[in-house]
Amino acid sequence: MNHYETLFVVKPTLTDEETKAQIEKNIAIITDNGGEIVAIDDMGMRKLAYPVEKNERGYYTVVYHKAPATLIAELERQMRYNEDVLKFMTVKYAKKKEIAQYDKMVAAVVKKNDAPAAQPKQEEAPAPEATEPAAEPAKEEA
Amino acid sequence: MAERRKFKKRYCRYCEQKVEFIDYKDLNLLKFSLSERFKIMPRRLTGNCKRHQEMVTVAIKRARQTALIPYVVDRKNVVDNPFELIR
Repeated sequence: MNHYETLFVVKPTLTDEETKAQIEKNIAIITDNGGEIVAIDDMGMRKLAYPVEKNERGYYTVVYHKAPATLIAELERQMRYNEDVLKFMTVKYAKKKEIAQYDKMVAAVVKKNDAPAAQPKQEEAPAPEATEPAAEPAKEEA
Repeated sequence: MAERRKFKKRYCRYCEQKVEFIDYKDLNLLKFSLSERFKIMPRRLTGNCKRHQEMVTVAIKRARQTALIPYVVDRKNVVDNPFELIR
């Protein structure tokens, strides 16, 4: 089992339910193939730095998971087929220092997910912040 | 003294902040090492140490791949407000 982080961008043209379904579908691929979800960071709808398949925006999700190496090939194969996924990237954390950082990032995400639980969820979604302990989730996109 | 240094010698910002690892999603950390046109700034201008420059290079390339920051900004490919992306 290795430590991985997978980021994927879902098309902005989908409705909220469809976006959610897409995210759940990708998470299901991980869990079905023997992976273990550690944390999920919902970065929300963001402007893309450059158009991808003529889309200007995208819905970012980051999944932190532990998985066997064979899973990644399967996950990336399925994402490549999936037309609703614009971009994806998997990063492996192997060295001791990197894993320490991985745990830190996971802790930050868990904290971020717990903190705005009291507030309505819609306010959290458009926050364009990157995952960092210092980042305030309250910062809104103009 | 005919050839004076154009840029002041600086010290590595990442060392000052004691950054251990640069996450590609954390754009505020990458911002120091990007030019106005989102090129990676050379070490001789930013004063980054070699260790951090290598980390930041990898992070910037990853951020480009995931459309967090643009590859190029030029007259043909104008970003309305490049600083809107980095906040």
